Amino acid sequence: MKRAIALMAFLCLSLPFLSAQNPSRVTIKGTAVDSFENIMSYATVMLLNPVDTTLVNFTRSDEKGSFSFKNVKNRDYLLKISYIGYVPFQLNLEPAAAGENELGNLYMKPISNELMEVVIKTAKAPLRIHGDTIEYDATTFKVPPGSTVEDLLRRLPGIELDAEGNIKAQGKDVNKVYVDGKTFFGSDPKAATKNLGAETISKVQVYNEKSEQAQLTGIDDGKKEKAMNLELKDEFKKGSFGKITGAVGTEDRLAGRGNYNRFNEKEQLSFIAYGNNINETGVNWEDYGEFKGQNTFNNEDNGDFGFSQGGRYYTMGNDGDIPIAWFDGRGFTKNFGGGTNYNFDSKKTKFNINYFYNQSELTVDQFTDRQTFLTDTTFFNTDTTGKVDFRGNHSLSTRIEQKLDSNNLLIIKASGRIGNTNGTDQQYQIFSDENGKPVSFLNVDNTSGGDYWRVATASIYRHKFKKKGRSFAISGGYNQSVNDNLENLLSNNSGLAGIITQDNNSENDTRQLKSSLLFTEPITKRWFWETFYNFNQTDNYVNRQVADPENAGQRIDSLSIFYKNKTLYNRIGSVVRYSHEGLNFSLGLAGQQIQLDGEYARDRNEPLIGDPINRKFNNLVPNIDFEYEFANNMDIGASYEYNVQEPSLQQLQPIPNVNNPAFRYVGNPDLTPETSHSIGLNMGYWNPGNFSSMHIWTEYNIYDSRIVQSQSTEFTGDLVRVTSQPQNVSGGTRFSSGIWSSYPIIKTKFTVNLSGNINFNNSPVFVDAIETVTNSQGYSIRSGFSITPNKKLILGLNGNFRFDRTSYDINEDLTQNIQNHTASASIKWMFIDKTFLESNFDYSLYKNDRFTFDRNVSIFNASIRRLLGKSNRLELRLSAFDILNQRVNISQYATLNYVTRSVAPTLARYYMVSLSYNVRGYENKVKSRGWW
Amino acid sequence: MRASFIAITLVFLSTCVGIGQQAPVQAEGKIRYLLTHNWTKKYAGLDYISQQRKERNAYMWGGSRSEWKEYADLYITPMASKYEESDEKAEDDDYGYSWRKETFVLRKNFETGMFKDHIEFLGKKYVIEDSIQVQDWKILNDLKEVAGHVCMNAVWEDTLKQQTVEVWFALDIPHSGGPEQLCGLPGLILEANINNGALLIEAQKIDWMTFTNEMDEPKKMKGKRINEAAYNELLKKHIEEKKKNEEPWFWGIRYF
Repeated sequence: MKRAIALMAFLCLSLPFLSAQNPSRVTIKGTAVDSFENIMSYATVMLLNPVDTTLVNFTRSDEKGSFSFKNVKNRDYLLKISYIGYVPFQLNLEPAAAGENELGNLYMKPISNELMEVVIKTAKAPLRIHGDTIEYDATTFKVPPGSTVEDLLRRLPGIELDAEGNIKAQGKDVNKVYVDGKTFFGSDPKAATKNLGAETISKVQVYNEKSEQAQLTGIDDGKKEKAMNLELKDEFKKGSFGKITGAVGTEDRLAGRGNYNRFNEKEQLSFIAYGNNINETGVNWEDYGEFKGQNTFNNEDNGDFGFSQGGRYYTMGNDGDIPIAWFDGRGFTKNFGGGTNYNFDSKKTKFNINYFYNQSELTVDQFTDRQTFLTDTTFFNTDTTGKVDFRGNHSLSTRIEQKLDSNNLLIIKASGRIGNTNGTDQQYQIFSDENGKPVSFLNVDNTSGGDYWRVATASIYRHKFKKKGRSFAISGGYNQSVNDNLENLLSNNSGLAGIITQDNNSENDTRQLKSSLLFTEPITKRWFWETFYNFNQTDNYVNRQVADPENAGQRIDSLSIFYKNKTLYNRIGSVVRYSHEGLNFSLGLAGQQIQLDGEYARDRNEPLIGDPINRKFNNLVPNIDFEYEFANNMDIGASYEYNVQEPSLQQLQPIPNVNNPAFRYVGNPDLTPETSHSIGLNMGYWNPGNFSSMHIWTEYNIYDSRIVQSQSTEFTGDLVRVTSQPQNVSGGTRFSSGIWSSYPIIKTKFTVNLSGNINFNNSPVFVDAIETVTNSQGYSIRSGFSITPNKKLILGLNGNFRFDRTSYDINEDLTQNIQNHTASASIKWMFIDKTFLESNFDYSLYKNDRFTFDRNVSIFNASIRRLLGKSNRLELRLSAFDILNQRVNISQYATLNYVTRSVAPTLARYYMVSLSYNVRGYENKVKSRGWW
Repeated sequence: MRASFIAITLVFLSTCVGIGQQAPVQAEGKIRYLLTHNWTKKYAGLDYISQQRKERNAYMWGGSRSEWKEYADLYITPMASKYEESDEKAEDDDYGYSWRKETFVLRKNFETGMFKDHIEFLGKKYVIEDSIQVQDWKILNDLKEVAGHVCMNAVWEDTLKQQTVEVWFALDIPHSGGPEQLCGLPGLILEANINNGALLIEAQKIDWMTFTNEMDEPKKMKGKRINEAAYNELLKKHIEEKKKNEEPWFWGIRYF
């Protein structure tokens, strides 16, 4: 632009000297008329810079068609006149010799009526006129699906086709047809028009081309031929990306993974596969996003309508169909998996289908110390566990979202999963009295195997009425899951009945049918009224037959059970909501009924044991929600809800589950739902100017009735038996509050993060039939610094401190203080072009005074990677994991009437070399963050 | 955006009443624009984000769900205009939740050649008052109909936000106004396409009416008084910082 100004300035300044006779200012006059000399009143007349058609000045012709630009700079201009229905008129003007430049009559050519009416008015297509090229927007001319380009051309005004498919444009033969500017399969123009599908074309351009003769000789013979160019739509242009990695390491470590994606504007197809023994149990979120593509996030998928409908939110669509890598840090795993995903996305239809197979084998050794407090004494147990667990499963899922029209939307989802599990579990437990003297031993050797399948289906239909804001939605779904499991249990207990053997054959069938309705009515522009109804029926069939293999497979009656359980849930509710300019407030009330029916027998088709259970719980459930946005990017929110959670099936079943004779679990058919008041407050602040942000939240739960695990312990001499059973207790509270903040000390270079949270929980529990209260308090604080001195270096420093205190009303002396602290440092550094160092060091400290436990673990990882090749498609990486060879999993917690700490070895020091190939090449820069 | 343009004189020989070509044009009117934002296209226009990140973003967020629609209104009188966000919502999903309406009113007076914008920028309110700087339009040669009016197109390159703006101005509504800060053409701007569909502004209907208090200015406008150069400086600084962080600069501020 500056150059243009300078040029113009130069031209203006130099003009008087170059052509001394030309005046510096000029008045340009003219009259706009059509070819019949009709005057064109009020035509738009523009003076443009001829170099780049920049607008310099404009005016309108008067009612006589005359116009004038008074006293404008005397220079080169492009004069342009536009008038509706006429081809825009253009004329190059040179500096005038006199002070007035009278152009006389300027003749405008009409646009053919057909083009004007049909293209511009009816099709609302831009009629592009570039010199002698006329361009049609093919997408605005509707042809039936499967039509050829010929069918499309027949609909274009100004274009004619005869029976053989010969094309005429504006009455002249079209002898050349190009596709994207290139000749399509030889010179027959009909090859393209007869073979290409109309839906592939975005634009049709018709223009005059020099004759072939003129093109060959280079001598313009003045003859022009009509030519046509068909421009292809973008979506018929394709793309792909993918990468593959292979790695080998010391300690027999191997890893490999790869993914490949193909796509065009409407379709996405992806493949992924992985296999390793380095504890990567599935795909990471980045791979997940690339795998699911446009189906990663879905909105409007929640068919369980209820109190809060507002807002536009997306849910990350992982319905469990794809295994997301998750490893709790214990043991060693071997993992394999792979799958494929297909998405189709158009304005009306979104379709997704995917298949995945994954398997994982986990081997864990774990050492646990536990101290249990009784009213008058205490005992310890140390537990050495060796466990192998295998899981493999196939899953197939699909989702269709169809816009029936602008007011009707239908979503259908279905998924199926089939799999098998098997495992072994060996435990050796020593029980000691309060002085640490061993009193009892237990050996457990269990094996198990089973298979399962699951289907889930859901459909949601949404309708919008003509009245804005009035809408109706209905959803329905059917889910079923069936598990078959066989366990062979062997235990040897020095205190109890000696050797016990059991074969457990259990079959679990759960069927769920549900439906919801929602009706929204706008009362005014700001007030809405919503009514919803939810129905859910869940039927459970559980058959657990326990046999004694030592006794000819005779059933053990005391442990065998068949039960049918039905939960019927009905809720009807109403919400009044106000929403206007950042203030959203809603007040709702629902009446709900939960009906539980259960029948128990020793086996299928045998007489019932005891009376059937028929329980009904009626509750009124209020709900309040308030949110307000302030002008300075701050928002506050408050909410209140009353929660009713019915007991789970496992909690209700009355027959003991005794896989380990020292720890029995017995259900409780008398349980009533857990009910609580929940109050939440939150505040968020974001400053886009200095990039700082803060979020504070608080949640407070007051329980009317709470389901807790009560424990009763038999500990006499050499007998140790802990029985836990869920029970309702009244009272108890839970409070938690936290803050998260980020503040840049030097913008883009040095950022501080600070977060912390506190939680208090007091819960009544039954310990040996005595009601007591367990109080726990937790405090944690975390601070971190992120330092980016330049584009090649990122440093991180973090500290995390956590204190937990648990006290027991039964005995104040037993108060537990547990501490877990971590400090870590990390570096990402491009020290030579294409060569990166990435390293982190974590120091963790675990403390528990009760066990006089004080242990620290230092983990040091480092890797160097180098990008290779011109477009950085190859990456070679050398990695060293846990260089100090200290990695171990430690967990410690205190609850109810016991405190526990366990240590599990896991994959420690190993070295790895890996080679990766990325179709698109790797970025030659330090990875500052995740890619979204 | 409001960078250095050649200021051209706004010449109006005739008022808007009884203008020729086609239907006579009333003196006062309200134009309803539909704004369609396309997040992946906005993202794709950032030259400091790697091609890979853009492609991944488009792969996950592209397609039909990357669009977001809203309405805006332009009020015009022969020599003035006012542009603001509409109270009416264009997104059906939006019903039931209301976001805070950002302060955003752009006023232009073509008689005095001054504009007065009341806007929010990075969480703070500003009143920007200065003389109207017209975009340096390049006039093209295509014709199409928008909202019942035959329009011609013109383009402008915004060097600060790195946006290409293609507009369609009506040949039969001789008014220099337009949506957002766009102005200075021989006809009213009825459509604007920013960065190839990243933001599409289309006039949907034009109501000719007689205004009562539509053009009135509120007595008080909260916000810091600055001129255009100062605002451009703030904008430039923000964009530079976001570039350094490799984040889209339009997070937290208006795209256009």
